Formats: sequence, C-alpha cells, structure tokens
Amino acid sequence: MNITLRGVTKRFGAFAAVDGVDLTVPGGGMIALLGPSGCGKTTLLRIIAGLEAADAGQVLFDGRDATLWPIRARKVGFVFQNYALFRHMSVFENVAFGLKVRTRRERPSTADIRRKVPALLDLVQLGWAGGRFPAQLSGGQKQRVALARALAVDPEVLLLDEPFGALDAQVRHELRRWLRRLHAELKFTCIFVTHDQQEAIEVADTIVVLNHGRVEQSGIPGAVYDEPSSAFVHRFLGQVNELPVTWREGRAHVGPLDITGDAGAAGAEHGGVNPAAPRDEILLVRPHEIDIGAESVGWPAVVRDVRVIGPIVRVELSVESRLPNETLEAEVSREQFEARRYHVGQKVGVRFRRWQVYPASVVRRPTDAAPAAG
Amino acid sequence: MSAPARGVAADYEAPMLEAGGRNPRQGFRWGRLLLITVALGFLGAFLLLPLLVVFTQALAKGLSSYLGAISDPMAWASIKLTLLVAAIAVPMNVVFGVAAAWAITKFEFRGKSTLITLIDLPFAVSPVIAGLAYILIFGARGWFGPFLQAHDIRVVFAVPGIVLATIFVTFPFVARELIPVMQALGKDDEETALSLGASGWQTFWHVTLPNVRWGLLYGVLLCNARAMGEFGAVSVVSGHIRGLTDTLPLHVEILYNEYNYAAAFAVASLLALLALLTLAGKSILEWRQPELRDGARLRHTNPRGSP
Repeated sequence: MNITLRGVTKRFGAFAAVDGVDLTVPGGGMIALLGPSGCGKTTLLRIIAGLEAADAGQVLFDGRDATLWPIRARKVGFVFQNYALFRHMSVFENVAFGLKVRTRRERPSTADIRRKVPALLDLVQLGWAGGRFPAQLSGGQKQRVALARALAVDPEVLLLDEPFGALDAQVRHELRRWLRRLHAELKFTCIFVTHDQQEAIEVADTIVVLNHGRVEQSGIPGAVYDEPSSAFVHRFLGQVNELPVTWREGRAHVGPLDITGDAGAAGAEHGGVNPAAPRDEILLVRPHEIDIGAESVGWPAVVRDVRVIGPIVRVELSVESRLPNETLEAEVSREQFEARRYHVGQKVGVRFRRWQVYPASVVRRPTDAAPAAG
Repeated sequence: MSAPARGVAADYEAPMLEAGGRNPRQGFRWGRLLLITVALGFLGAFLLLPLLVVFTQALAKGLSSYLGAISDPMAWASIKLTLLVAAIAVPMNVVFGVAAAWAITKFEFRGKSTLITLIDLPFAVSPVIAGLAYILIFGARGWFGPFLQAHDIRVVFAVPGIVLATIFVTFPFVARELIPVMQALGKDDEETALSLGASGWQTFWHVTLPNVRWGLLYGVLLCNARAMGEFGAVSVVSGHIRGLTDTLPLHVEILYNEYNYAAAFAVASLLALLALLTLAGKSILEWRQPELRDGARLRHTNPRGSP
C-alpha cells in the first residue's frame, strides 16, 4: 500500500509540530523519518496511524483519502518505543490480541489462532516464549513481541516509533538487520521514526530528514549523506567540521586554503562560492574528506590526538590561526595510518578533498530544538 | 510496638559505630527517638486506645448482651439499610469514578482542571453542608419540593436522600485512586489495542481495566468504608426515623444519646470491625502490588509520561 501526504499540518497551540508536509511512500518501501527531537517526526507518524488528527492536509492510502478514517479502519501496525506490551497477558495472548478482538465473522477460529501465533513467534525467533510474561523478557525480546503482535493482524503498513531507541548498541544492530530481512521477506510498507542517522542509513531505503515540522530533504541514504541540500542536513547526517569562510582580495579562503569558485567535488550547486557577492559563509567538511599530508602542503596543523577505532583512525588536529580548542577531526583508513604513523605533536599539512559552503545565517545546529527564531 | 523502631535505629547506626567508635550524630539519635516516641504515643492514645475501648465497652456486659444488642430489630434494620446504601452508592461511584478518570487521563479537553477540582469538592465541603444542600433541593420547601410532593416521591427523610448524600460524600475515592495510576500508565497500551483493531469497549475491558484493577479495588474499599461510616450528610437528610432511615452510625448515636452505652458500643464495634477489615484488605492489596507492578507503587513514584 502506498501512502501519500499532502500539506499535512498539526499545531499544538502556536507551535507547528508538523508544517505542511508533502510525502509519498511507495508500497513496500522502507522509509526513515529522521530528525532531532521536537522536529515533528513522531507526530507525523501518529497522524499516518490515525492516533493524531491533522489540522490541515490529507493522508491518502492507495490514493483514497484516509484523513478521517478511524485507527481501526487503517490496518496499520503501530509499534511504540517502549513496546507497550500488555503486561497482564502472556506473550502468546499479546500476539493473539489483534485476532481475538475481531468481530465474530472475521475472527479466526481458536485452532487457527493456535497455529498462527506460534508461527509469528517463530518468525521473530521467540517460538519458545509464548508462555512467558512481558516482565520476564529482555528489551530486545519485548520489541520483537511487539512486532509480532503488530504483524499478527496482517497490516499493510507497519509504523515504528523509535523502534530500537531503548536498546543497547549490540542488540540494536542485530534487530536492524533482522528488521531488514523481515521486510524483504514480507514486503509490507514500513515507516519508522528515528533520531539516529546511523539507524536510518542502515535500515531505510529512503530517508526523510525533518526539521521544525518540515521536510528538509528526502532521498536514498547515500544521496542524502553525500549531497545534503542544507547545512542542517549536512550536520545531522554524520560528523562535520565547521570553518568560517573569509574573504581576501576578492577570493574566498578557509585558513590559508583558497576555495574560490570551487565547491568541492559534489556540492557545486549548493555550495558554490560567488566572489561577486561576499557574505557570511561557513564551510562544512566531513572528517573522512580531510587529507593529512606533508607539513609543506596545505594548511599547517599539529596532531593533537590519535585514536584507532577498528577500521578507521580518528586524528584530531589543531590548525594554524585557529584557537587551540577549535580542533579539526579527520578520519583516515587503518591502512593509511599504518603507512604514515601519525603521532601526537607531529606537524602536518591539511587539505580538503570535498566540502560544501553554506550561508552562515541559515546554519542551525541539529540540536537546536527551539522553534524557528529567524 | 517499639520493636520495629529499635530495629530501624540499630541498622542505621551500625556502620557509624564501626567507623569511628563514636556517633557524631548522637544528638540526632535522641531527636529521632523522641520523634518516634511522640508518633507512636500519639497513635496509641488517639487511634489504638479508642478502638480498644469500643471493643471492651461493647463486651462489658457479656457476650449475650452484645449479641442481643446487635440482633435487636432496630439494629438489624440499620445494618440492612447501611448495606443497601453502600450497595447502591459504591457501584455508582465506581462507574462515575472510572468514567471521570478515563476522561481525565486519556483525553485532552477544555475544563479538564475544573473537572479535577470538582471531583475533590466533596473532600473540601463539610458533609453537613452537602446534606443541607440536598434538603434545599429536594426538601418540602426546596426547589423540587412541590414537584416531588405532587408525584408522591420522597427523597429527603427517606432512603433516596441517604443514597444521594452518600454518593456525594464518597464520590472522590474511586476517581482519586485511579487518576494517578492511569496517568502513570499512559496511553500507549490503549493506542496499541486500537491499532490492533480493538473497539473502545474491548480496549477498556481487556487492556485498561486489568492494568488498573488493584488501584480500582483499593478505591472501592475506601469508598465502601466511607459509604458505610458516613454520618454528617446522612444525619441531615435522614430524619432519624428509627427502623426506616437510621444507618449504622446514626443508630449508634441514638443508642448513645439514650444512655444505652453497651448497645451503642456493640453496634459501633460492627463499624469498627468493618474499618479493620478494610484496612486488612488494603494491606493485602499493597502487599500484592509490588509483584504485580502497578497501583500504589506507581502512585508513589513520579508518573512518567503524564500529559
């Protein structure tokens, strides 16, 4: 089932939680709604589920206007961050709930329920847990029960609100892979909310970045990461270093590096520096887009810290003419590190392979949850 | 009675004595003992002693006179009336209380805080005033007086008036118990049930009610105890017609005013027994609650996710 949102708006008092969102989710898609807390992603998910009513705009299910459909009629599975398992029911009863509450005409027979529920529990690898109560399960197990319960009613859409937010890193990683496999197998349309860019990139086939109730950018994960349309998206997906752009003799510089007319490999249309109209600008460069070379080449810098993190090595650099605490973070591959052997105190030269330049006035930090100030 | 207090004090002091041999908070220890003594003494003198007196006085003239006093037809009539009033008032307040708690905790609407304040009104208003209000509304010279007389319906100085006054006085108990429990539980379970296709009624019956059952039972117990023990409001609207509109507390007062102390205390002991049973029931519930993870324990913690 495909879902289309047209100009969906939801206000809480004067605050617009969702502000004119247009979005199309193709049937069988796996969409991540990504954004900082307070960006309206959960509200948007609840509007799709029917748990919240939009003040304006339309929600279309397969082209039919579902804006006013009650929750029951939408046939969506909704999974909460805190699982919301019925604590007085066993795992079996939890999963069977959606089947047992159907009208007599639509309700499967007890024998059918006895067949279907264990099959679902097997699907979420909890075949052994039918007789357990939620309090006896770990967080990851509870989340899988919640998913099985949602899947029991054969929803055409599965909506997940921060599905793995309360789990530890290892379990989260496993469940993400498991969710992908499950989705590939069952082919339901899935929309999930997350504030974790890593999760969005790992799981989704389309990422929708939200900020202040609006869609900032949407696209496949690689494209959103490589070609952010705004400084907000650039900062929110992955790590960035930020450097002010200065103008000397009609040319744009970052430190001693001349960046005039060249916006790095990918970002020319967004970040191109126009020498005719100098203004306050900021350059964003990701750690892995920084080259560390000989001292004589590029921006002179001193290595402050070296941290080996598995396959990558993070090098902290303080560059000339910047304050000592305004360090740059660079990431090089383990192989490169083995070859060059950077050490603390070493003098090096820094160059940027890719970067983007944005007007400084519209740059907002992703953590800036306050309503738009200007 | 002082055994638990000593136990607590000893546990608390042990590490300090080991550490330094001397207790740097010696003065505080005496202060604590003093506080405990005052609290226990107060409890003993003002709560325990009267309870003992009720039972000793009730049995002062022997068991046969005690049984005689409570099997007296007038006493029986008052017992039956009290049970009848509770049997009507408690279920009604369960329905009202659950509805009010549900509305307040699951929905956002205008006037919500006003509704919460209104629920507390019976706690704030003296029961006597509540009784007088009913007389002014339903009494012979009240607003509906002529209408009621014309249709030969008796409210004041009859059972309906007593029931109304009792419902008014006991209204807050169930709602007040349920609101914090329901607030702490949040709306996620209900929303999940709805998204799984359950109707509102199925959601309430299969999801909400099991979640709040201990809180609800607790509220019912307190409501019942108050319904049977209410004096002020009932006294105003009852008219004290012996054998007809006398509830247990009113009957106790009549016997007492007639200097029939043994009988008064005998009937009073029934009420006291009810209170003890209620407390025992409450303790059992509180003892079960930690295992079942709801009710009182949630009530004492900061409700998470309350709107």
